[in-house]
Amino acid sequence: MSSSKRPSQLRAYVALTKFALKASLRNKSTLFFSIIFPIVFIVALGMIGGGGVSVKIGIPDGQVDNPIQSAVSNISTIKVEKGTNESLKAELEKGKLDAVLEVNSQDAGFYSVNLLTSSANPNTSSAAQSIVRGIVDQVNLKLSNVTNPPVYLTNTEISGRKSRYVDFILPGQIGFSLLSTALFGTVFGFIALRRLLVFKRMFVTPTRPITILLAQATSRLILALFQTTLILAVGVLLFQFYLPHGIITFLEMLLISAIGLISFLGFGFFLSGIADDENSAGPLVNLVSMPQLLLSGVFFSSDLLPKWLAPIANNLPLSYFNQAVRTVTTEGGTLIEATPYLLGVLAWGIVMYLLATKTFKWE
Amino acid sequence: MPDTTSDSIIQVSNLVKTYGDFNAVDGISFEVKKGEVFGILGRNGAGKTTTLEIIETLKKQTSGDVVVNGYSVSEHPLQVKQSIGVQLQSTGFYPELTLVDLLDMFAAMYDVKVDPMKVLKQVDLEEKANTFVNKLSGGQKQRFAVVSTLINKPSVLFLDEPTTGLDPHARASLWEVIRAINVEGTTIVLTTHYIEEAETLCDRVAIMDGGKIIKIDTPKKLINELIATGFKRETIRKEATLEDVFMNLTGKGLSDE
Repeated sequence: MSSSKRPSQLRAYVALTKFALKASLRNKSTLFFSIIFPIVFIVALGMIGGGGVSVKIGIPDGQVDNPIQSAVSNISTIKVEKGTNESLKAELEKGKLDAVLEVNSQDAGFYSVNLLTSSANPNTSSAAQSIVRGIVDQVNLKLSNVTNPPVYLTNTEISGRKSRYVDFILPGQIGFSLLSTALFGTVFGFIALRRLLVFKRMFVTPTRPITILLAQATSRLILALFQTTLILAVGVLLFQFYLPHGIITFLEMLLISAIGLISFLGFGFFLSGIADDENSAGPLVNLVSMPQLLLSGVFFSSDLLPKWLAPIANNLPLSYFNQAVRTVTTEGGTLIEATPYLLGVLAWGIVMYLLATKTFKWE
Repeated sequence: MPDTTSDSIIQVSNLVKTYGDFNAVDGISFEVKKGEVFGILGRNGAGKTTTLEIIETLKKQTSGDVVVNGYSVSEHPLQVKQSIGVQLQSTGFYPELTLVDLLDMFAAMYDVKVDPMKVLKQVDLEEKANTFVNKLSGGQKQRFAVVSTLINKPSVLFLDEPTTGLDPHARASLWEVIRAINVEGTTIVLTTHYIEEAETLCDRVAIMDGGKIIKIDTPKKLINELIATGFKRETIRKEATLEDVFMNLTGKGLSDE
């Protein structure tokens, strides 16, 4: 009876990690939020090409044949739409067209050009204006037989990687999927394990609470590294997502993901202690995740946010994480350049772990 | 050092557990003998579960001490845990793991070797080896819960209201399992609010009310003492019950299996 053999905490730790991982891979909501959801987003949003700005200009039927109209039609970034003057103007008001090009000719060889724009699409309207103005200038020079104008513009493009939406969306999806694992997975997972007395049943055994907690954290860490690998694989294989330094960038991504997940877990532990049940957990988790989903550059760049929001948006944990990921992927930077952002992620993590020590509960 | 000379395996002395002003356990003392089935009988809220959880090292007492297998629960909780088995009042299992997974996991937590199929065979659950706990019937669930506590070959097994919510057939089948475990030499401590369970299963019964133990003795002695006072039951015991009729007609118990 008095076999004083101390049970191996290591064996318990390995087994608990393995079975926690097995359980979460069998849990449909974990699987959906951490893996399927981000991949669906990448596949769907990756299809949106980075064709740049495309301008739609309407040209009314029955206008006299003129050099401006044909020059406009020859520009690749412009989509020309034909129709009656009235229908085109209606489209313009709705914002479906960026401009309508009216060309009239009073005398042979003289044209008056009227470009109608609307306030519906200010950016593309001004693009349409400058394109048409450029064409009008060119045509004027040509018709005036000026072959050697005093100011001549040439455009030299410096080499740069063509930036596509997938380059932006993919790092954001990695961040979002890790946050889901750490937040949704941990908060709802822990509440369920508490409610079902799974933790209590574990405390009956000689395995120490810290071993149980470390195993829970480790299983999520493994899941997170798998998520990052899977999302990167989909990006690289389907959308030619670019890893600037190949395998090095991949390893850097794993390291950044590990730091991110461990910090985000602090939020999960903290909130799972505050929430008594699934009903109170829902709003709490959304309160933490929704602002970050919108403000941290997951779906669109936080540069587009109003100025006053920037100090908040740029300092959110997911913003730091996304910025660190973009530094080593899209921007081709080094891990050292990403370090300030990683410190930001860690700082949030430390604060959350301190709070979690006050709120954490097993029962 | 473990005290192996005494024939008692658990010693509870002056145990108190207070929640605010409320004494959930109010200074109780008792011993459990090696090899017996010891029942704590009481209504809901009498303090049965709290008492059990202190002995199981799941809760800290306010005062008093408990010694299990020679180890004090407050000083050597890990040694106590290693030598006991505990069945909680409700499930306590990962819903996404199969029975085999769960047994493997518990084996690792106790750092012992088990053959999950052999364990399941003890309670006729080999066919459910790759099933999730949620897919088991109430009786099967409880049988699995009991057998999962035997992984570390405990010398004492604690069962908190093991048959609550079970139909009579599943209850009888679980009693068989508990008796078989006891015959193998395991001491059993259980709580119950079923008189019949205390009467048929337990060697000795502690009657608990309002956080205090009012009386401890064998069910037979308790009944005889009462009869000796001139007590008579008001109702006449039925010669047969409706359940007997059902079993007689169908040849089966009213089972959920």
